[in-house]
Amino acid sequence: MELSEASVNAVKMSKERKKLIRKQMKSCHILLKHDGIRTASHVTKSLVVANGGLGNGVSREQLCAAMKEMGELETIIMSPHKPYAFATYSSEQSAQKAHGLLNGHLLHCGDNSVTLYLSFVDSVPCEAEEHVPLPEGLSLVEDFVSSEEEALLLAAVDWVTFDDDTAQKALKHRRVKHYGYEFRYDTNNVEKDKPLSVGLPDECVPILERCLKDGHIGAMPDQLTVNQYQPGQGIPPHVDTHSAFEDTILSLSLGSKTVMEFRHPDGRVVAVLLPGRSLLVMKGESRHLWSHGITPRKFDMVPACHPEPPAAITPDLGNPGNLTLSKRGTRTSFTFRRIRRSPCQCAFPSACDSQGAPSSLPSAPSLPRCQGDAARLEEEYVHRVYDAIAPHFSGTRHSPWPRVCDFLSSLVPGAVLADVGCGNGKYLGVNPEVVALGCDRSSALVHICAERGFQAFVSDALNVPMLTASCDACISIAVIHHFSTPERRLAAVRELMRLLKPGGRALIYVWALEQEYNKQRSKYLKHQSREPSRSPNTAEGQSEDSASPKRTVNSHGDVGITNVDRLDTEVSGPVDQRPGEDQVHHGKLSVHTNRTAFNSQDLLVPWHLKDGKGKAGKGRKGGREAGNRDVIRETALAVSKDNPSIAENILPSIGPASDCKTEPTDSNRRSTPPDSMSAKVATPNACLDSSLPSSTKDTDHARKSCPGFEAAATPAIPESSTAAAVFHRYYHVFQQGEIEKVCCQVDGVKVQTSYHDQGNWCVILVKD
Amino acid sequence: MKLLTHNMLTSHVKGVTKGYPLLIKATEVKVNEVEFNSQFVSRMIPKLEWSALVQAAEGLGHLEDLSAELVADYENNEEFLKKVHKVLLEVEVVEGSLQCPESGREFPISRGVPNMLLNEDEV
Repeated sequence: MELSEASVNAVKMSKERKKLIRKQMKSCHILLKHDGIRTASHVTKSLVVANGGLGNGVSREQLCAAMKEMGELETIIMSPHKPYAFATYSSEQSAQKAHGLLNGHLLHCGDNSVTLYLSFVDSVPCEAEEHVPLPEGLSLVEDFVSSEEEALLLAAVDWVTFDDDTAQKALKHRRVKHYGYEFRYDTNNVEKDKPLSVGLPDECVPILERCLKDGHIGAMPDQLTVNQYQPGQGIPPHVDTHSAFEDTILSLSLGSKTVMEFRHPDGRVVAVLLPGRSLLVMKGESRHLWSHGITPRKFDMVPACHPEPPAAITPDLGNPGNLTLSKRGTRTSFTFRRIRRSPCQCAFPSACDSQGAPSSLPSAPSLPRCQGDAARLEEEYVHRVYDAIAPHFSGTRHSPWPRVCDFLSSLVPGAVLADVGCGNGKYLGVNPEVVALGCDRSSALVHICAERGFQAFVSDALNVPMLTASCDACISIAVIHHFSTPERRLAAVRELMRLLKPGGRALIYVWALEQEYNKQRSKYLKHQSREPSRSPNTAEGQSEDSASPKRTVNSHGDVGITNVDRLDTEVSGPVDQRPGEDQVHHGKLSVHTNRTAFNSQDLLVPWHLKDGKGKAGKGRKGGREAGNRDVIRETALAVSKDNPSIAENILPSIGPASDCKTEPTDSNRRSTPPDSMSAKVATPNACLDSSLPSSTKDTDHARKSCPGFEAAATPAIPESSTAAAVFHRYYHVFQQGEIEKVCCQVDGVKVQTSYHDQGNWCVILVKD
Repeated sequence: MKLLTHNMLTSHVKGVTKGYPLLIKATEVKVNEVEFNSQFVSRMIPKLEWSALVQAAEGLGHLEDLSAELVADYENNEEFLKKVHKVLLEVEVVEGSLQCPESGREFPISRGVPNMLLNEDEV
């Protein structure tokens, strides 16, 4: 008997339908479990749209477009970062129609596609609006210039000078150009007696006259800094040096809008939407005390409907509101300032370099207190750095360490090996008889692996997309020390062990606090003693493939270890008085001076990327010469209590810091006094209440300014010295015995061997 | 991304229980020449999820008449090993994506590199 076509089709449909229902039920379950959202089994006017949220990369416009077709849509609620949205129709009928037609529907959003699963809900979160005032002294004037004027101004900038800038290109920094006077990063000030040969372009004159006429400024500015930001670029939070410039700072946003974040020393953060062709006027407290910065990202969360200008976007604390994602375009800002000729006498001495405060106020991090903070810290001080320095870094990592090679060579042919945190793939080819798979958090480094013919993928070490017990062996070399909390370090070890089959072995290397072991100084320290002024940049000496890549006595000089019994004894603390883990808990991260002993367990280690050395380092020290051309030296972070947030951007510090804004107080143009601002919701990136570390070094260094937190592009005029770029990477260096203690916390795992190798603590683990 | 690699990867989206194997959606595939080592291939076979390999190869149009079932005594079957070698090590997905069979979430493959990073809310 044959089935009729109709019934065959019916059977087919029913199978697909069952699949859809299954997936939808799964989505309901997930919504309930993770977000407490209860779905209803009866028809209502409101729906929850799983996978249709801002967190899925779906914009309000895209979702609205799809949902409007179904009927009269009353509201759409999209909370930032959430993987769902809510929609309410005016009738149950419309909602039902939407449910029928959109459930299981594949929505295309640009490069992204999501499958929507709709369910009825009895209630949706309610919206409330908070009004947040703009920082005192700040105001925004919309439509300050016309489109024609905008085009003229943009055309007036000659960017040609920068195209050869390898560092700028390699680092993908925003472009900067100065007119009138140059801002110098080494002094964090302007050279007031040396005006540049190029003054402000003529095209600016009418605009500035308008500013004068409207009362935003009392005198013509004599300095202009033009910054051009591509999507994904930003500028770290900073306060413009008081002694360099007069009170009012004007900034014109051209080409695209952006969101700028202002941070007050007390922790308040205000995100301000700067529309294209608007003028931001910064005076008083907003200029002298609040820091301002632009988070490097490609999308901003902005109010969906154009709010009453100027809008401060409030921190969203569980308040969905009507937000949408706004893709960034190329934005060029023109910042006009007037050179200050006498010391600053403002009412904000804590931030004032004329009155004693350090001239640069970079934001500096402290140890994270929660997962979110930890992830953000690692994003800024590990992931972004590696992505930026990848080629340079890879060039210094070409010699595999002998003892790691020993481990790899001991594996049986055909073994499956996972290299978690594989970097540039240095170890993936050591033993060609094994199946080596690498993964790393840095896409740039993984691509280098691929170019070298290795198999690797991008992934986080805390969540490796491989099946449990799929590997015969794993290695994690110089990775776990980048995790900023003990919990995450433990989780990393756990994840590594999860991948192992019973009997499988893992090798872990982490940087040691004790760089001198058994009276042998590590190579890292040794280079310092030989040539003190050379190579400021030797990040991990032990992994630096400079002078002698061949096996030296030292690499085996680590006597006195590999005795498993030792691990059972109480681990002795380090010889000197070093801060223990608890002390460090509330601590502040200091910047380490390369080639010296560590004085703390949690720190930021500088990496110097010399201008033009974006390519693989050459020569003995990886091509990095210290020299008097290096304007930047390792310095302690200049820390100020006034900047309580984690630096948004640790792009290296060359080039003008500020992108300053000013506000008009008495203009007739469409500007409104700060307190009548209405604010819509958005979530500023990382408003973290981290306390600042105290400077570990003298404030002299601080005054020379931590380059790490200023903006990053080369100075406009090549006559200035070729400043090098400095990145800071976060490390938690391990005390003797510490990595073993972490490993012992993982069930089903035994420490087989443990040893010290050139400034690293190493363990070999076996899975039961 | 070679099919050998694909065979080891799984979806790790939170809440997903059946994330393996990932579905391959390829927009650019290339076939390289890789030196054949029969012993190596022979050793690999027991470590593989054979059906996932066949399914993936088929999806890419490179099945090379590999049978759905493993051939008995494959260690000595050079012809068979050569086919496996090709599918496992020579076929490469250059552009496309890997899709979680349960949640539908797609992980892009770009210039041969799969990006398996999850967003905050998927972890």
